[in-house]
Amino acid sequence: MIADRILLTLAATAVIVVAGWAYLRLGDRALAALPHGAYRRLVPWLFAAPAVAMVLLTLAAPALITVVWSFFGADGGFEGLANYAQTLSDEVTRIALRNTVLWVVLLPTLAVLVGLAIAVLADRVRYGALVKAALFLPIAISAVAAGVIWSFMYDYQPPGAAQTGTLNAVVTALGGEPVSWIIDTATNNYALIGATLWTQAGFAMVIFDAALRSVPGELLEAARLDGASEWAAFRHVTLPFLMPTVVVVATTMTVVALKAFDIVYVMTNGNYGTDVLSTVMYRALFTAKDNGLAGAVATILMLTVAPIMIANVRQFRRETGAA
Amino acid sequence: MNLRHRATALVAPGAAAIAVVTVLAACSTSESARPAEEPAADDAAVAAAQDAAREAAGGEELGGSVTMLGVLGGEELDAFLSVVAPFEDATGIEVQYEGTRDFAAVLQTRVDGGNPPDLVATPAIGEMSALAEQGELVDLNGVVDAAVLSANYPASMLETGTAGGELFGLYNTVNLGGLIWYDPSRYDGPTEPASWDELQAWARDKAAQGETPWCVGLESGAASGWPAADFIDEILLRQAGPEFHRAWREGAEPWTSPQVKQAFETYGEMIADGMVYGGTTTVLSTDFSQAANPMFADEPGCSLIQQATFMGGIITDAFPDLVPGEDLDFFPAPDFNPEHPGIASISGEILGMITETPQSAALTRYLASTEAGTLIAATGRWLSPNVTVAADAYEDPFLRRAQEVLTEAEGTYPLGNSLMPQSEVDAFWQSGLAFAQNPGDLDAILQGIEDARG
Repeated sequence: MIADRILLTLAATAVIVVAGWAYLRLGDRALAALPHGAYRRLVPWLFAAPAVAMVLLTLAAPALITVVWSFFGADGGFEGLANYAQTLSDEVTRIALRNTVLWVVLLPTLAVLVGLAIAVLADRVRYGALVKAALFLPIAISAVAAGVIWSFMYDYQPPGAAQTGTLNAVVTALGGEPVSWIIDTATNNYALIGATLWTQAGFAMVIFDAALRSVPGELLEAARLDGASEWAAFRHVTLPFLMPTVVVVATTMTVVALKAFDIVYVMTNGNYGTDVLSTVMYRALFTAKDNGLAGAVATILMLTVAPIMIANVRQFRRETGAA
Repeated sequence: MNLRHRATALVAPGAAAIAVVTVLAACSTSESARPAEEPAADDAAVAAAQDAAREAAGGEELGGSVTMLGVLGGEELDAFLSVVAPFEDATGIEVQYEGTRDFAAVLQTRVDGGNPPDLVATPAIGEMSALAEQGELVDLNGVVDAAVLSANYPASMLETGTAGGELFGLYNTVNLGGLIWYDPSRYDGPTEPASWDELQAWARDKAAQGETPWCVGLESGAASGWPAADFIDEILLRQAGPEFHRAWREGAEPWTSPQVKQAFETYGEMIADGMVYGGTTTVLSTDFSQAANPMFADEPGCSLIQQATFMGGIITDAFPDLVPGEDLDFFPAPDFNPEHPGIASISGEILGMITETPQSAALTRYLASTEAGTLIAATGRWLSPNVTVAADAYEDPFLRRAQEVLTEAEGTYPLGNSLMPQSEVDAFWQSGLAFAQNPGDLDAILQGIEDARG
């Protein structure tokens, strides 16, 4: 049975490759028969068309269907904006919105600060590569696994008992009372954001590390010769060069924050006031089986992400245009 | 319900690592320390099961395969597959079991996508009933012989799996709920209390002396809160009576009714500060499968833990040196109300059919047979719903006693939260956490579940 499936997969792959090759080959031949000007205008589309079709099929169409869904009730009747009204008036959604805002503010800020700090500071020390590698490694860990790992980090045992959680072991060793990080409403959202930061800071660092290489060394040298302190050189020479990168990292992290799901689902499942929009959407879709309500939450999420994505793309264009 | 929780928790992301660690630890140690742990069914039982399988397949070597979607993973799945193995050997049919932590989501997606599994096995009976109403499930009355059904299953279990006159599901495995586990070498309270009040009076005395009587753990990944929901469910069943319980789970009685409130309050007294090890924060942050650990510490943190039959296996997995009966035992939770005595609650996995093929029908008939039930009993993990299974098929001492309790009970009823729609179940589970955290908010919490009923 499994052998059948592997064969089927291989056959399908072969068919796709052959079909793709035939498409390009024959399409190119067909276009070549046209006048030269038309050929030059049309041939990029020949290559782009499959990708465009794929994006339309797997991204635009589902997005459109989701938006359409959001106007219909669970039983299929048209309900206009009722789903939006329902979800926005719901206490759980309001908590989720509040938390999502918290995520969007904190995660990009912290990721930029940590990533930039490590990238800049690790450049100056001998064991910098080691530090960078250590910060980079968590990227390879899936969010679900990260959630499990951090559940252990945040583990709580009653006062007096041996603390198995790393954080509480430290806290009690310093003479403090153990804190129930992911249950206490004063800490739990920050604990979840912290765990996500752990998985994402390495990405920020890598981008900053690459960007740092583009800072002209002679400018820094000149600044230092002119008597600028290290901080002043960083502040007035390095940072301006890195600004576009800060924007890219911040927008990317904003998107990550808006999409936050796995860590929350694994560590608290949205209990104790830690819901974010995506967990609300998941529950609406898979437990309440209300496509309309889930569609409304998804649309809200999409509308929130869209401006940030547009800003990100613009920034990207500006950079590549300048380069 | 317990099966689902256990299984969900075993594979649920949050608890997965913990469970995996427990299971791994158990793998290496339990076999030598507790030979009855995974008793391989004896050859005669396997041979009988093969005969039953051939008969279920109409005497033919059918070949082909059956796909099955369920919630089992790890050792539990191995145990179930050992029940299915004789069927595969005898009929040449390959059983492809897919275990998932997100049963409802995966099933819904596959049904919507036109790629449903042939069979499903789930503790979420309410979900199955909803599927049956959508017309997605095959009526098992046309698959399994009526005489076999009436001979092998208690009427109440068949009734639970019936909707609109169609039999959409057959119990496959069963857990007995409402047990109180304790350490006989240390526990000095009543083991046959006449009433819950008597037991709680002892517990309050203990608490007054500065010792916490109860251990409770409500954490279970995405299913967190179920241990509280299960016991509140049990209390309601036995305190307000089966009639009210049925009306409540079917939606005829609101969550805000005084009986439900009283059941929550009864549970609240059990998990009040001073009564539970470590207080509320520990209750909320302790995984249910590790909740019993303080009971066996050098200085015991508690004397009692409430949990269904499977808890015995979890505890002996974690503490392989324990001798069943000497260091670990259970008694059924006493009556909560003298007007409704001797009631037992069960939860369990129910088997339903989405696609009828000769292979899936054969497997269903096989699992409904006495011989397959005997193998279920021999796994040492579950009770078989099959009443024709001989009592001596249970080698596990806890299961044997649980089976006695079950047969002696004056009435056996399924827990309500396995029969409700998933959104209501989720709200119930979460209410267990919210109530433990803020018992004062009970009215608002109950109103919240009532709203989730939709």
